[in-house]
Parts: sequence; C-alpha cells; structure tokens
Amino acid sequence: MTFKNHIDGQKYADDFKAHAAGLPGSDISWLNDLRRTSIAKFAEVGLPGPRVEEWKYCNLNVLKSGKFNVSSLIASDEGKITSLINEARLDDINGAKVVLVDGYYHSSMSNIDQQDGVTLTSLNGLFGADPEKAKALFSQTNDLNSLKELNTAFMTDGYVLLVEANVKLAEPIQIIHLSTTASNDKALRQRNFIQLEVGSTAQIIESFIGIDGVNCWSHNNTDVVIGQQASLEIYQFQNEGADTIHMAETIVDVAKGGDFKHYSLNIGAKLSRTEIKPTLKGEGGEIELRGAFLGRGGNSHNVFTHMKHMEPECNSNQVYRGVLDKGGKSAFQGKVYVAKDAQLTNADQSNKNLLLDRNAEANSKPELMIYADDVKCSHGTTVGELDAEALFYLKSRGLDKMSAKALLVEAFVAEVFEEINITSVKEKYLSLARQWLEIEG
Amino acid sequence: MLEIKNLHVEVAGQKILKGLNLNINAGEVHAIMGPNGAGKSTLAYAMCGKEGYEITDGSVTFQGKDFLELEANERAAEGVFLGFQYPVEIPGVSNINFLKAALNSIRKYRGEEDMKAVEFLKLIRAKAAELEMDPEMLKRAVNVGFSGGEKKRNEMVQMALLDPTFSVLDETDSGLDIDALRIVADGINRMRSPEKSILVITHYQRLLDYVVPDFVHVLADGKIVKSGDKSLAIQLEKDGYAGLGIAENAA
Repeated sequence: MTFKNHIDGQKYADDFKAHAAGLPGSDISWLNDLRRTSIAKFAEVGLPGPRVEEWKYCNLNVLKSGKFNVSSLIASDEGKITSLINEARLDDINGAKVVLVDGYYHSSMSNIDQQDGVTLTSLNGLFGADPEKAKALFSQTNDLNSLKELNTAFMTDGYVLLVEANVKLAEPIQIIHLSTTASNDKALRQRNFIQLEVGSTAQIIESFIGIDGVNCWSHNNTDVVIGQQASLEIYQFQNEGADTIHMAETIVDVAKGGDFKHYSLNIGAKLSRTEIKPTLKGEGGEIELRGAFLGRGGNSHNVFTHMKHMEPECNSNQVYRGVLDKGGKSAFQGKVYVAKDAQLTNADQSNKNLLLDRNAEANSKPELMIYADDVKCSHGTTVGELDAEALFYLKSRGLDKMSAKALLVEAFVAEVFEEINITSVKEKYLSLARQWLEIEG
Repeated sequence: MLEIKNLHVEVAGQKILKGLNLNINAGEVHAIMGPNGAGKSTLAYAMCGKEGYEITDGSVTFQGKDFLELEANERAAEGVFLGFQYPVEIPGVSNINFLKAALNSIRKYRGEEDMKAVEFLKLIRAKAAELEMDPEMLKRAVNVGFSGGEKKRNEMVQMALLDPTFSVLDETDSGLDIDALRIVADGINRMRSPEKSILVITHYQRLLDYVVPDFVHVLADGKIVKSGDKSLAIQLEKDGYAGLGIAENAA
C-alpha cells in the first residue's frame, strides 16, 4: 500500500506528457524510451512521504509551494550570471570549469579543455556527439528511487567526466550550478556522471549557488564509478538562494583499493537534502565523508548517507557537524551496512550538533546493520549547546559575547575541514562558515 | 583601586557571600585564604562577571567605576584578569588565535587599532620565552592536552600578554609541583608594580612563600573574618583554620 506512504506524483506525469517532446535529446530513441519508463515508474510510487523512514525528518510537502515545471533554456541576464559565477569561482584553481545555468550547460562561462585521457563534457554535448556512449553511462545506473526516476525523466543537462586508466588530473575541475530568477517555479534536473578508470585520480570542486526569493527545485543526481586504485575527491558548497529546494544525490561504486572523499557545506536553501550512497565493492577501499550544515531562519538541512561495505578490509569514516540557530532545522541520517563477508571492516561515524537557540532543531539517527563478526564500527552523536565555561573563559579574556561565540562555533565547524590540502578550498569553507556566523544578530 | 562593599552573592539560590568587604589599593598584593566552601572562587567569579552569580546586595567599584554594571569582557578590558583554578580546554581554537582575538578585543574596547600581526607575534613570543613556554604550545588548541602545570603556565602567559591593572588568581597554585609553582609565582611577581594590584586566592600558604603578600585575609562562611599581614598566613599554616575557631567545612 505504497500510496499511503507517498505523495502523489500525478502532476509530474502530466507535466511530462506536455513537455516530453521538448526535452533535450528527444531525437534519440533509447533516451525517449528511458524517460518514458522512468516517469511511469515514478508515477507508480510518487514522492516519498514522511512515513518513509529515510524521509522521516524531511517533509516534501514543501514541493506543493510551486509548479516546478521543467526548466527551459532561455536567455538570462548575462552580466548578472557572470558576476555570480566569478564570485563562486576559485581564481587560483586553473583547471577546467563547467558552468550550468538554470539546468543547462553554459558554454561561454565554461572551459572544458582537458589533458589527454580525460573527457569532460556536458551531458547534452555527449547526447549529440556520442549517444551510444551516453547510453552506456545510463546502463550502469543502479540503486534507483522515485526521485531519481523523476530526475531521469526530466533531466535537461549535466556534466560528464571520464578519466582513462592511470591518468591523473593536473588540476581540480570546478563545477558551478547557478539558478537565476528565470528558474523561479521551475525544477532544474541535472544528471552527472563521473567515471575513473584504474589508477586514475580527480578532484572536483562543486558549487551550488542561487538568488534569494527564487522558488526553484535544484535537483541533482550524480553517478560515480571509481576503478581499482583510483581516487576521487569531491568538495561541495551549497549556498543556494534562501527559497530554493536543493537536492544532491551521489551514488558511488568503489572498486578494490579505490579511494573516495566527499566534503560538503550546506548553508543556503529552504530545504536541502544531500545524499551520499557509496558502496565498497572491492578489498582495501577507503571512504571519507565529511560535512557541515549551518541553518537558521527557515533553513532545513538534511544529510543522508548510506555506506555499504560489501568486501573485506575497507575503511570508512563519516564526520558531520551541524550548527542550528533560531528557526534552523537539521537531520542527519547515517546508515552503515556491513555485509557478511566484509570482515576486518573499519566503519566510523560521528555527528555532533550545536544548538545556538532554543528555537532550533537537530535530529540525528545513526543506523548500523552489521552482518560480519570481525569488524570495528563506531558511531557517536551529540546535540548540545555552546559550553558556558568556555564562553566565560573567552569573555574573561576580553572577547565580547558575539566574538566568543563565533570563535567557538568556527572551531566546531573547522574540525570537519582541517585536513583538506587544497588551501583555497579549505579557506572557502571556513570563510563561508565565518560569514554565516557574522550574519547573526 | 578596588572597593568591595557588603557583597552578597547567590549561586543557584544558595547564599554564598554574605556581606564581604575588601579594599585593595594600587601597588598592593592581597591574599585571601579560607577553608573549602568558604566562597573564595565565588568571590573571583562574581568580581569578574560570570553568569549565574547573582549579586543580591553590595557593590564592587573598580577605579571609580561601578563594576557590576559591566559584562565580563568589559571588566577584562577595564584591566582585570582572572587566573582560573581550572583553565578551560577549547578544542579547535589555537592558543595564538585566541590570544590575538583577546588582545585585539581589549584594544578595540579602549578605542585602539588592532595590533599588527608581526608586532603581535613578536610580543607573544617574548612573553612565552619569559615564562619558559615552548613556542610550539602557542600553536596548539587552547589548553587541550596540556598538563596541569602547562595550563597554569598558559594562564601566566595570557596574563603577561594582556598586562592587567588588577589580577585575581583563583587557586592558581593548586595541583602544581614545585617547579610549576615557581613558574606561576614568577609570573605573578612580574606583575607587581606600584600601579598594579594583585589578589591571590589560595588554600595553602605554600604559594605565599614565593609571592609575599602585603595583606592576608581569611574568608569563612561568606565573609572576611580576619585580616592581617603575612604572619597571618604562617599562623594559619601552623594552627590550621581550627586554630582561628573556623570549621574546615564551613559550607
């Protein structure tokens, strides 16, 4: 009786009928079939409701606030776009840049030239250039859920990064997703793919930015495959407009000896949902997930992780810190699954939350399912206030209450980003956190 | 310099100080001794503005200013330093950033510019060297993983850097071995000058061998019950509080 647990998705199915012909790649028959199958699957189930355990703290009734029709490629204020992109971009990183505006690749702001052995393109670019290659990417997709089906049905664009065996990216790639005022009442559905072959390495710096007052649904699904001994680092910054609904799901397969690091900072959006679902599919894989979420005045941040240890001798570590001020809300749900054969697994998880105001809410739910007997797994979660003794200590040395608070909160958040060795990335995380703290009255 | 009149303080509804009077002039070193529970730490916290210490009566005046009107940080900026019995550990905040923030907050309160980074580094390194602190400890998180002696030494470095007019040292000597005690005493003695005053709160006479006070007061059951010169401390050491007719666990 799934309908009781789910929110009806009929309006999206109707929207699909009306707009399918205008979606990118509509001349590719396998893609049309895929979209049709996806919307049919979605319509069967609908959107996850609050009675679905994984969505218990994340109420999608907020999606009733808009029509969220598919975003169409329309000309926007280029000057404004340029200034927002320049603000989000890290100037000292000289690697390629992919800019997506309102759900579409923006070629004039992007630079996708790459070294040999690396393919970097927009999804639409690949549909045009090599539809069969694109088809292969979709055939590897697993772990489907109704939201991802919805994304597949409507996806407008995205980025694709393919790195050949033993190629090491010289510079991190910057990806910037921008939603402008043109995306008001629209859904921006982007699909991204990252595939690293044996022994290759890549770093991605991914920013999601927008404008306050724009009620849009920024919906991103990223499928990642990390080959043997390959290594991927993703650094995400979510600083969407205050009225945006942000979703970013990353599904990752890690082969033997592979390495995956994912950092995130959630500051913007009225509702954010960051999902990271890695599967360790070979021995000796390493996964590090670290992030912070800072919320106040109507922000609701949700981080959902599902770590699957399928093979022995893999390590995973998760560190999340939440800071909630007046009117802010958060939920961390961290699942760890250790299969029967995944002996000698080390899996750690920590989520600490700071409440700066009585009118703030932090939820934390670790969930461990361990079927192997020779493993080390830990989880810890706390929800607390600032340490009054530490505050007085700082004040007794002359720091006013605001500065003392800011220093303590910054330290609490900084722990997450301590070990990042790209200086400008680390600095950006800390400066965004600092700016957030300074806004408080 | 400091004038405390008829001070009554309650903590969580419990009366701790019950009419305490104390006058400290510039250049003087005072020691307050007393049994456990007499209200020694309460006096230090109430003077320095800790939340939860409710002043129900009396006044504290510092250099002519009503001190009870000020926030803890404003009192610090007015020139008062509190050396903690148990310095607080602050994970994630480096000692040096903390000290810089503290010094510049005080300068800002006084209408001065931030100290230049280079100048600050020079100053803090000099102060650390004077008090024989390993410069590496400046980079570490405030008091985290410090031994008892290192924490107290850190308090002395902070005091030296902030250069207060009036220092209150709350059982700074507790739990120290003899070498650490010398460092602490040295730190305190460096602050002695005709313009500055010091209040040493201690349970034992031991520290007063190194920091010789001008006046000694005995605090019991929320009041000063006896005052004298340094010989009072020696008498206390010999006869104990019972010798003055004071129960050891007055609270």
